[in-house]
Amino acid sequence: MLCPTRRELSARLSIGAVVAAFWLSFLLWFAADLKQHGATETAFQWFSVDNLVVAFGLRLDRLSELMLLVVTGVAGAIHIYSYSYMAEDRDVPRYFASLSLFTFAMLGIVLANNFVLMFVFWELVGLSSYLLIGFWFERPAAADAGKKAFLANRIGDTGFLLGIILLWSATGSVHFGTIQQLLHEQPKLLGEMSTIIGLLIFCGAVGKSAQFPLHVWLPDAMEGPTPVSALIHAATMVAAGIFMLCRVFFVFLAEPSMPLMLAGLSGISALDVIAAIGMITALLAALMAVQQNDIKRILAYSTLSQLGLMVLAVGCRGPLPAMFHLTTHAFFKALLFLGAGAVIHAMHHEQDIWRMGGLGRKMPVTAAVFLAATLALCGLPPFSGFYSKDAILACVLKQNMVLFLAAVATSVLTAFYMFRLVFVAFAGKPRTSEAGHAHEAPALMLYPMLFLVVPSVLAGFWSVEPYLEPLFSAHAATAVKPWYEQLLAPFDEPLAAFAGLGAAGFGIFAAATLYLGAREDSLPSRWGAFARVLRNRFYIDEIYRVCITLGLDAVAAILDFFDRWILAGVIVRGLHGTVELTGRILRLFQTGNLHTYGFMFGLGVIITLWLALMR
Amino acid sequence: MFFGLSILTIIILLPLLAALVLAFVPRERGVLFHGVALVVTGVVMVLGAGLFWQFQPGAKGLQFEQSWIWVAGLDIRFHLGLDGLNSGLLFMGTLVAFAAACASWEIRERTKEFYILLLVMTGGILGAFAAQDLFFFYVFHELALIPTFLMIGIWGRGERKNYATFQITLYLVVGSLILLVGLLGLYWQAGARTFDLVELAAHLRARPIPVAAQAWIFPLLLFGFGILVSLWPFHTWAPLGYASAPTSTAMLHAGVLKKFGVYGLIRIALPMVPEGARHWLPVIAFLCLGNILYCGLVAVRQKDLNLLIGNSSVAHMGFIFLGIASGSLLGVTGAVVIMVAHGLLAALAFALSGYLHQQLGSLQMDAMSGLLRRVPFLGTVLLLTLMAGCGLPGFPNFIGESLVLFGVWKPFPLVTILAAWGALVIAAVYMLRAIRKILHGPVIEQGLALEDARNPWRKLPFALLLGALLLLGCYPRLLVDQVKPQAAAVLRLPSP
Repeated sequence: MLCPTRRELSARLSIGAVVAAFWLSFLLWFAADLKQHGATETAFQWFSVDNLVVAFGLRLDRLSELMLLVVTGVAGAIHIYSYSYMAEDRDVPRYFASLSLFTFAMLGIVLANNFVLMFVFWELVGLSSYLLIGFWFERPAAADAGKKAFLANRIGDTGFLLGIILLWSATGSVHFGTIQQLLHEQPKLLGEMSTIIGLLIFCGAVGKSAQFPLHVWLPDAMEGPTPVSALIHAATMVAAGIFMLCRVFFVFLAEPSMPLMLAGLSGISALDVIAAIGMITALLAALMAVQQNDIKRILAYSTLSQLGLMVLAVGCRGPLPAMFHLTTHAFFKALLFLGAGAVIHAMHHEQDIWRMGGLGRKMPVTAAVFLAATLALCGLPPFSGFYSKDAILACVLKQNMVLFLAAVATSVLTAFYMFRLVFVAFAGKPRTSEAGHAHEAPALMLYPMLFLVVPSVLAGFWSVEPYLEPLFSAHAATAVKPWYEQLLAPFDEPLAAFAGLGAAGFGIFAAATLYLGAREDSLPSRWGAFARVLRNRFYIDEIYRVCITLGLDAVAAILDFFDRWILAGVIVRGLHGTVELTGRILRLFQTGNLHTYGFMFGLGVIITLWLALMR
Repeated sequence: MFFGLSILTIIILLPLLAALVLAFVPRERGVLFHGVALVVTGVVMVLGAGLFWQFQPGAKGLQFEQSWIWVAGLDIRFHLGLDGLNSGLLFMGTLVAFAAACASWEIRERTKEFYILLLVMTGGILGAFAAQDLFFFYVFHELALIPTFLMIGIWGRGERKNYATFQITLYLVVGSLILLVGLLGLYWQAGARTFDLVELAAHLRARPIPVAAQAWIFPLLLFGFGILVSLWPFHTWAPLGYASAPTSTAMLHAGVLKKFGVYGLIRIALPMVPEGARHWLPVIAFLCLGNILYCGLVAVRQKDLNLLIGNSSVAHMGFIFLGIASGSLLGVTGAVVIMVAHGLLAALAFALSGYLHQQLGSLQMDAMSGLLRRVPFLGTVLLLTLMAGCGLPGFPNFIGESLVLFGVWKPFPLVTILAAWGALVIAAVYMLRAIRKILHGPVIEQGLALEDARNPWRKLPFALLLGALLLLGCYPRLLVDQVKPQAAAVLRLPSP
């Protein structure tokens, strides 16, 4: 924003733009005919050299339309919410500028029609996330968190870029449609590198969607303003990895094969690895969430865990359930964060749930929407989360029993830690005077939350699957069911549905026995060391820190020493010394004595003549 | 054409003539020298932008050509002309020259000599890039190089100024001498009895130099040019040299003059000694990893902002070498794009660090903190500059580095993986570290005398350089389409 002095103008400008974008996306979604599944593309050449042709091309199909709706919808609500939440900050224009940059870049990812352009916006999203996490850059924790997020993303992006290069060198194109067509015609086109390519491209998603082992940046990212956490680190940017996997799902369907060097691993396909990583992330993050006390961090670990479930679904050949869960999750998780923001706002920036309590009576509207979103997250019907999570469970069940059990265990933990949060923060009696004097959020913060409640509750009535199916499979779309049939559809697969319900019920029950009316957390005394490990997030950050200090920093220090003292010091000074020594030796001959010069001249002539004549 | 003079000739002779005239002006007229330098480089910049705009991509032959016989017996000609390889570089050079003239407020002593040298350096640099004659190609470069040494020695800063001057002089003179031997070898072995580059190239296409002779000419050219561009392990002069140089000298040398070496490799070594190049390209590919990884990691450790920028600039040179080593159209095009992009970037970075140094008296990063709050304009520009340095899309550096990485995958996959790691991760590590230390962190309210660039004149050089970067980064065809046909010609590929 170029006008740092006009706070109002900059805020209204970006809110207006995003809301307009939302209405346009809304019209697009409903204007487009369901029967018409083709993609519309528009492009102009950005640059091209040799056979690398990069277009600034946009692709509009059902997948990007759905994402447009999610991104602009959530972004619109959060822009409005921010107007009130950030009103007292002195850098409002910078805030809205970064937020709008993010929305722009995110829409770029959604609409890009080729890998390079997607990578461009991918990086820009990383930049805006960096700027927003470090928005309060005077606080060292925020500045460090931004740096960590950017670097973790960059590590993933290296793999992503290499994957794009490999894919390009195998197919000669970076355009999604062209590659999909080529792979459809020749499934063996990628040759022995197909699994590697799949894994490298997945690296991009590991960074952006914060999957294990690059998940460490997401909890720290909570240092940013809460609306930012809601928009970027819960609803949209972290979902970009899942979206990307779905967008380029055709790459993972290529015949899996490994180069000779890694022949021992040839039985493993890229999707198997993706499923395993998703499962590890889902379970690990859910365990970590159980022992966190910061309201935003609990939600952050919950986001990690849900993203893990989506990745798991993709790995189990289910891009549709993954996209469905992405959509519902975007709405209810944004809502949870906005609720948390309202609580933090009311508590004067206190984030520890053990210093809250009894907020349900003080802020009834916030508590009600928070509870609705929690129920959606835990997967209770008729809230949207039930339908999307059930779709994932059913999809995983078809593939692998172990993964299914892990997913059910994640659901138990999800219900447990979410109701721990609800019971401790909203139920019972106030634990501190701040909690006692909390007040309901202002209207401009409540309206966006109420707006988000609608899709959080109702999105399950309309599954997204019939809309997206033609993009992923050859056979025709299944008909869209009327909503009352959709409401009961999950019970077509009773095992998955009842496992999910049972898991949620068990988790809530456990949380209720432990935390309803509790004064303090009793788990640490019951579980002892294990609780400590959970609270410290399995010490993964500490392990990384040691590795980085011992590894990269040590190497850099050695090289710096080498550069400073050996290359620049010894060699250059050595050269210097040699030149000077030669000078001194030569000076011995420059005696200023005419006889010496005459003698040396004669000697020179003789030697020259000897060299010239005698040899 | 203007009285028989090509605009290109005017661009190159104008600074040299102005320097000559200034030599006769009494030194008491202090402000005049800076004023003349600003006006002259400003005119040159406008003309340079005009040439870049009017350049016809893909047209046959040289554009804006000027050819005068200089020494008929030896067939030395004052021959200037633009093609796709140097059109972007010349535009970048004129822009940096003007920005450098703007950024030299810090010079208070011996202004007469300083601005004369600055103008000579500008003329020499632009001449070296525009020359189409081997003799002038070399002489113009030397003409620009000597003022560099003098400026660092006389107006330089820091305790290690003398050592830095000594080191940079030693390295670059040795490099130039090796290069001279290589060029003379090329001239004799070609047997064309002409110094004209166009004729020489045509001659060598018809009758190439014997492979045995190419085998020793190419390494001479490679290491001669390589030392001038701080090819690893001949790079140690660069960071310290730039840290000790006055702002405008660092901008002009790191931004423009240094590119002479890689430009020479692409203009002369690749097309004229192709067989020798074929054998040595793998060597370049591995040496440039030294630039990218080794110097990148060294940059991670720096505590002084200027040393960090200097090391990162050495690391960026690695990508240009990598593009050359790929021997592919993508790689060479990418190399030229990085040359232009990095020229603007390095000039911008040194202009910023020079501004900070002038105000703070030191560039120790530990002593700075929260500058984004104290100097929002400069801080934002610095943030964008450092981000451009780690390859953020929207800047041409990203385009160039991507082209290089795409181009080098086929011949050297392992090198590509390591270089991608260097480009995306190591560069991000040191750039973010600098942002964290300088711009972010608690604001130091007291004891730090610092003022933002409020005056539009002070903002101008930063705005110009940043604007050019963003323009080329968002609309890369402007540059890529000019470079592409000529890069194909260098590699003897059919024109795309």
